[in-house]
Amino acid sequence: MKNIYIKGSHGAHFTPTVNFNYETGICELKGESYLEDTIKFYYPLMEWIKNYIKTIKKELVLNVKLTYFNTSSSKCIIDILNILKAYEQNEGKVVINWYYNDKDEEYEDELEEIEDFMIETGLNINNVPYN
Amino acid sequence: MASNEKNPMTNFNLYKYYISFNHDVQLSYKGPIDEHILSVISKYIEVILRKNPIASRKIFKIFIELAQNISYYSAEKNILTNDKEIGSGTIVLGELDEFYTFTTGNMVRDKDIIPIIEKCEYINSLDRDALRKYKREQRKKPSGPKGGAHIGLIQVALTSANPLDVEITSIDDEFSFFSIAVKVLKEI
Repeated sequence: MKNIYIKGSHGAHFTPTVNFNYETGICELKGESYLEDTIKFYYPLMEWIKNYIKTIKKELVLNVKLTYFNTSSSKCIIDILNILKAYEQNEGKVVINWYYNDKDEEYEDELEEIEDFMIETGLNINNVPYN
Repeated sequence: MASNEKNPMTNFNLYKYYISFNHDVQLSYKGPIDEHILSVISKYIEVILRKNPIASRKIFKIFIELAQNISYYSAEKNILTNDKEIGSGTIVLGELDEFYTFTTGNMVRDKDIIPIIEKCEYINSLDRDALRKYKREQRKKPSGPKGGAHIGLIQVALTSANPLDVEITSIDDEFSFFSIAVKVLKEI
């Protein structure tokens, strides 16, 4: 298995920074997510997680620190969370930390989004303030 | 062009067009909406609204969803580079004393109007919690050919925290002009 590292960019579209490490089991997704072809970007990430679940079988920690994501990206995030939910139901250990900026006056909207992800997937997501 | 020659677009007077915008209009655009336009307008929104960072972010989010809808669903297409079809439409950012207005408009086929209107009316009939529930339900559905664009309008209503102000103007037997305006309160 190989690690995934994608350096985020902010141009005509916004690519998030991705850092998926199979040795530590820590998967990071941060920055901004607004892509030309959202599914094409997220599909390999989903495949990586499925592969990790099948071959590594250890704890998986997902750290999300997205300051912006459009609705197409949010659909792909749901898909990732659903894969993790299935892992958890099969006795896999999953920790999800969602970082939000509590200095940002818009953080209530962000907390609402996190809550919606939890309700929709049935997963527990830790809200972690940072600034 | 010699000064006594008329503009070939005889019905078009650029000055009338210009003054049809009052000083409340901060930004307007008409034409194909591709990724370059998205990027430039996003930057301008940030610059124009720098004194209102919350409103600025909200309008940016609204802009991305509505512009994406235009580029996918407008009945008026332009072919730019790579033979790629790009939807055309118009975008206006207005500023009033207490709020900003963000409006987008594009041509739609008459047969597509009723579903859009029904969707907007349904969104406007829901309170915030019901709207969030509706978004979660819609997000569960498999993506259409263009990704998750159907939840774009729900997200716009949630972000603006105001109703979607929708208007349809009939053009002919086949097409109408669809416009959608949303308000974003200024920070006090």
